[in-house]
Order: sequence, then C-alpha cells, then structure tokens
Amino acid sequence: MKASITRRQFISGMAAASGCLALSQFKFAYAGNTSVLKVRLKRDLQIIDPGYMIGGQESAAQYALFPRLTELSFSGKTVGWKPSVYMEKIELRDDLHIDFQLKKGFQWTNGYGELTAEDVKYSLERMKSSDYGSQFDAIKAVKVIDTYSGTIVLNFAYGPLFIESLSMGVGSIVCKAAVDKMPEKKFALDVPASCGPYVIKEHIPKQQAIFVRNPDWTGPKPDFDEIRCIIVPEANAAELAFEAGELDLTRIESNRIPPYKKKPIPNSKLKIAGYLNHAWIGMNTEHPKLKDIVLRQAIRAAINTNAIRKVVYKDVVEPAYGIVPPGLIGRRENCSYSFDPKNAKALIKKAGVKNLELKLSVLAKNRQQMLAAQIIQSNLKDVGIKVKLNPLDSGPYWSLGREKKGDAWKDSQIWIMAFGGTVDPSGYFQYFIKSQVGNWNWERWSSEEFDKLYKQGIAESNSKKRHAIYVRMQEIMEDTSAYVWLHHEPEAFVYRDTMSVDIDPEGSFLFPSTQKI
Amino acid sequence: MLFYIIQRIGLSVLILFLVLLTLFALIHIIPGDPVSIALGPRATPEIEARFIEKMHLDKPWYEQFVVFAVGALKGDLGEDIFTGQKVSDIIFSQLPYTIALALSGLGWAVCIGIPLGCFSASYPNSLLDRMLGVISVGTIAMPSFVVSIYSLLIFAIMLNWFPVIGAGEKGDLIDQLHHLVLPAFAVGLGWVGYLARMVRASMLEVLSENFIRASISFGIPRVKIIYLYALKVAILPTITLIGIGFGGLLSGAVFAEIIFARPGIGKLIYDMVEARNFPVVQGSVLITAFMFIFTMLVTDLIVAYLDPRLRKKL
Repeated sequence: MKASITRRQFISGMAAASGCLALSQFKFAYAGNTSVLKVRLKRDLQIIDPGYMIGGQESAAQYALFPRLTELSFSGKTVGWKPSVYMEKIELRDDLHIDFQLKKGFQWTNGYGELTAEDVKYSLERMKSSDYGSQFDAIKAVKVIDTYSGTIVLNFAYGPLFIESLSMGVGSIVCKAAVDKMPEKKFALDVPASCGPYVIKEHIPKQQAIFVRNPDWTGPKPDFDEIRCIIVPEANAAELAFEAGELDLTRIESNRIPPYKKKPIPNSKLKIAGYLNHAWIGMNTEHPKLKDIVLRQAIRAAINTNAIRKVVYKDVVEPAYGIVPPGLIGRRENCSYSFDPKNAKALIKKAGVKNLELKLSVLAKNRQQMLAAQIIQSNLKDVGIKVKLNPLDSGPYWSLGREKKGDAWKDSQIWIMAFGGTVDPSGYFQYFIKSQVGNWNWERWSSEEFDKLYKQGIAESNSKKRHAIYVRMQEIMEDTSAYVWLHHEPEAFVYRDTMSVDIDPEGSFLFPSTQKI
Repeated sequence: MLFYIIQRIGLSVLILFLVLLTLFALIHIIPGDPVSIALGPRATPEIEARFIEKMHLDKPWYEQFVVFAVGALKGDLGEDIFTGQKVSDIIFSQLPYTIALALSGLGWAVCIGIPLGCFSASYPNSLLDRMLGVISVGTIAMPSFVVSIYSLLIFAIMLNWFPVIGAGEKGDLIDQLHHLVLPAFAVGLGWVGYLARMVRASMLEVLSENFIRASISFGIPRVKIIYLYALKVAILPTITLIGIGFGGLLSGAVFAEIIFARPGIGKLIYDMVEARNFPVVQGSVLITAFMFIFTMLVTDLIVAYLDPRLRKKL
C-alpha cells in the first residue's frame, strides 16, 4: 500500500498545525508570569473610601492601599487583633484612652509626604460623620501629641473598637491633605493618595482591578509584583477558571466543599476563612397563633436542625447554639433544647392546640433555604402542624417584620433568617434590643436585662467578662423560645498550594500577607 | 418610500416612549419597599436618606417620571446610586463588548447557516438534507448556556485551547479575539440552525418559481442560479431574522457573558438587578431597547427597499 498526500491536504495540515501551535503559545505566555497573583472578585470595586464604601470587596482593596492602626490576628478559629506594621506601639492606657505611635518613614503616594498622627486624627474623626458613623460613636476625639504620636480619647469604653473599628476596612487611615482636596472630601475609585504595600495601577470597569507593588513602601516587601482582581460574579465559572489556571484564589460556594474534598483540584488547597454567617428560624411572639410559649417550645423541639445541616448543607456548616459564630467571644457550645418529636407532640397537647396551620416565609432565591423549608415543613407535619411555605422575593422578604415598611409584620409567623456577621459579637446583638422591635427584632420580644447586658458588653474590655455577658444574652434569647438556631455557613476559598493566604472572616482577601511558599 | 420611512420612525418613537414608561414603572411595580430592595437589609439611616434623595423617592410619582423622561431625552440617564458614576459612561464602557459578541456570534452563524440552508434546498429530501435538518433542529433546541458550559469544559478545561474567563487584555486585539471565540461560538450555534432552516424553507419556495425554471432552461449554471438569483429573493425574511437576532443578542447574550465572565450589557443588567441598582438597570434596558428598535427599523427599511410590495404595510 502506498501512502500519498495531495498538495491541498499538505496545506490544510500545515495550517491546522500552525493554529494549534499558536494557541499553545497563548497558554505558555500566561503561565510564564509567576509573580502575578490572580484573585477573583465577585463584583466590581465601587467606592474605596472607607467612610462610604458599599462593603465587602472594597475591604480587600483598603487592606492593600491604606494603613490601619491594628490588624486582625488568627489563632485557629479564634479572631483577635495585633498592632499593624505601621505601628511602633498601640496600647490601652485605661478604658477611655488609647495611646499610639506610628513608625517613621511611611510615605503617601503622589507626593503627599509622610504618614502622621494628623492623618490618624483626620481619618478616625471623619468616620464619625460617615455612613459607618455608628462604629465610631465611641471615639470622642484624637489628640495629636507630635508628628507620630497621639491618643484616641473615647466617650465610653468600647469593647469592639480594636477588632471591628480599627482592624477592618473602616479603620483605614487616609491622607488628610489629599482627601481635603477632593470634591465633598470623598473619593470612589479615584484614590488621591495611598500608603500601602500596593497601589492601583489600573481599573477596567466590570473586568478587573490591577494592583502593583508600591515602590516607596518601607514595610515588609510583599511577595507578588502584581495582583489582578478579576471580576467573576458566577461562582461556578470562577471555579472552572481556577481549575484552568486563570485564577489563583477564588471563593467557592459552601455546597462545593464536599465535592472538592472528595476530588480536590490538583495543586490547590482549601481554606475556611470563617463562619460568620448565621441562620435561625424566627417566630413572631406577638402573633395570635404563636403567643403561647409552650407551642413555640413544641415547634422548636419538632425541627430536626441536624437533618438540615446534613441534607441541605452536606455537613459543611457549623451547628449554631445561638447567634455568635465559632471563633468569637460569646460562642456557646450547646443549647437548652434538642430535637425531640415526642416531646413536641406532648407540648402541643399541653398547649391545647389542634389543626394548627402556620406560614413559613423564606427567601425564594436562596435554594438552600428553600430546601431547608421543606424539611421544616415535613418535621412539623409529623407533629401535626401544617406548614404553608411562603417564598418571597428579597423586597417583600426584608420588609416582613419592619413596621415602617407596611403591615406585613402583623401576619408574619415563622421565617428562616440568615445574615452575614461581623468579627465582634456586639454586632450580632444590636438587632434584638427593645428599640429594634418592629425594625429588625422581628420576633418582637424585649428584655430589660438583655438591653442592660448589651450596653455592658460593648463597654467591657475583659474578654472573659464579655464572653459571660454574651452567653447570658443568648440564654435570654433562647428563653423566649422564639428561635430555633440553625447553623453558621463557612466562607470557603481555594488557592494554589504554592502560596499562603490570609482572608478575614468576612471573606476579604488580605493582600499584603499573601506569600509564595 | 418616504411615507413608509416616516410611518416607521413614528412607530419606533411610540415604542420607545412605552419602554420609557415601563422602565419608570419598574421601580414602583416591584413588591416591597424600593429602599429596602435597593440597599438590602440593615442599611444605615444615613445611606437610606441619601438613596431617597438621589432617586427623588420623596417626590410624587409624576414628578419622578418627568425628571426621568426629560433626563433620558437629554441623554442624561442619571447616576449610579452607589458610586455616583454617570450611567451613560458605565453603559458605553460595556456596549462595545456586547456589540463585538453579537456581531461575531451572528457573523459566523450567517457564514455557516446560509450556505447550509442553500445546500439543503438544493438537494431536498436527500440523506444529507435530512441529516442537516436534524443537526439544525438540535442546535436550535440547545440553550446557549448549555453550549457555553460544554464548550468551556471541552475547549477550555480539557483541551486548554481557549481561556475560561474575561475579554482579554486591553489593547491586545489578538488576545481579545482569542477570548471571543468560545462566547461567539456559544451564542451563534443556535442561530446556525435557525438560519439554515429559514433559508432552506425560503429557497424551496423560490426555487419553484417560474423565473428559476426559465433560468434552468436557459442553461445557466446551477450554482449561479442558487446563490445569485434564488438567494437574492429568498434572503428577505432572513434579513428580518438577522435583525431580530442582533437586537436580541444585545441583551440576550447574558448567559454567555456570565458564564465566560465577559463584560457586556447583558451582564451589566444582571449585576445591577442583583445589586438593585435601578438607574443603571433603567439606563441599560433603555439603551438596548433603543438599539433593538433602531436595528428593526433599519432591517425593515432594507427589506422595504428590496421588496417594494412591503412599503404599503407598516
């Protein structure tokens, strides 16, 4: 048999081979640049100004661009704080005074000179009248002692100050001289001066933000020359991009953790940044159908939260025993009730209720909540309570318990509630004090002891005392029988095994501490 | 023809006005409080107050409509409620990507679909025609997001030929084209089938016309008859279909844009609906509606120019 090739076949073959070669060159060029870190952002950066940011994505940019007095420290699941690299010292003199001293030599970009105590004073005092003013209410003023030293004077002792106000993005120090020149003394993406390990090189709307190493920064040199924050809203697309090598770090949905653990993506690691998301089933204690605490206890005993965790969340969530998540002061290790259908039936009998029908409101777009609602429906049916599901769009859902948004609160009965939380426990309790009834306290109970403890918890700086306060507050909440604690969902990330990353528990990537291994 | 053009433009203006009205109603029709919807739970009172002021929600609805309509007519689509950026700037930074995707997706579909339709019509009921029929219907039935996901898995993940996400490096045309291949393939595949079936049906009708039979009897080559004489007439309904396709892809390429994390109007609308950023949603929908109406206007005028009989009907 004689092999032959025509001229046309030869030309076609050569064209195909050239095409393949050209395409392979593309991949090679991408892989060649090893000091570029590609990170996924779920949405575009909008406002980097700490006083007016929308939240979330901007924190990562703030960590890269601006100094803070303190930063978060992590020990296992526990979150604490430590002085930042910009500080010579920062210490609590007494409950109302915090002394600080900046290190010398940190320069603002664009020729705005050195980072000084005046900038600290300006930044913290301006936050008081910003969109995040409530986190800075405790600060009375900042007294400048000399160029680098000063004292933060407080109106009242404020426990969350170091972790929630100073260590997070809102605690970013901005350049007084530069911000003063901005229209309305605010900025969005047009950062007038920065003083972090990175500077913004380019922002392409809806595509990416590119950060490059700040050549004038005198702190520890970051490992990566360039960080590209690529906007990928869809989690599955981000995961595929990670698998294809186009991303080095991405958040994954919690329901993707089990498949990842079963079959990990080669050369990658999984990191759980925190469990600040918290979920519970709430009951309106003023609704005629639910006024009887015995009935509420019955509902609580009838719901199998363990099944929800296993079936819906494939056991990747942490069980909740209150509203404080794992790793935070005030986290409880158990609660006073358990799943007990027999007891539930006995309690329903005791309450003298028959043919009860309840409406369970749930956020329709949340697939996992919808599944959980079906389990709850089935559990309650087993004890003789008929549940009608009420899936709602976010608009009506978030108006459900708020008096100023309409009359829906009068007929709201039970609901599944889920929130992302903050790194200080006080943030979780502020929505249940008396003044929040009809606003965010949809369960509509109040307790003088609870309100008193809330104030004490904020003012207390001793960790053990704060822990006791917050545990007691959760006991008070539990005693209302208006809650069935569900779980804390993790913030999960995958990243290349050739680097180490720090991610704050709220899910913001800490650029500066990312290192190559 | 002139009267037809005036009539057609008048109709377009009316449609645009209705779109404007619907878009304005959007924020008031959605159940729930617009402030909660836009800002989500637990926004601070300061943010809520600023939002109400920016959106003029403290004014009666008719005043709000006047502000919205007058602004839109002047080309001022308002500001992004969160960043204060001009909505028109945001839209026009995304629009080129969508136009590129729609043109390339539809472009390759036209290049493949029309010859396939002609080929099928040339050999009706042959084995090849039947096979092409099955393939065409198959591509029509396949949603673009399914094509996107599978093309991504095969060509990007398994074969590593094309990138998974993004639109390519700014200023690097080759890289941008490289990033465009898979999304264009995904949005265009269904249109190959549509166009092939449409052209086949029109061609079969035209090929049975007397002037074609006369051409055949004159001994004019078959290829010339099909591609020059018959196609010229058969293409008319296809032009309308291409117009609808292009207009539809301006906002309908959203799945491809999301899956491939490409910038574009569809994705912008999706993101802004998620963020409840109503001025950007209103502005983007208005611009895409305008472009759709404009495309249809141009298409209708082309068809009316080619077929004078159609000038009498609106």
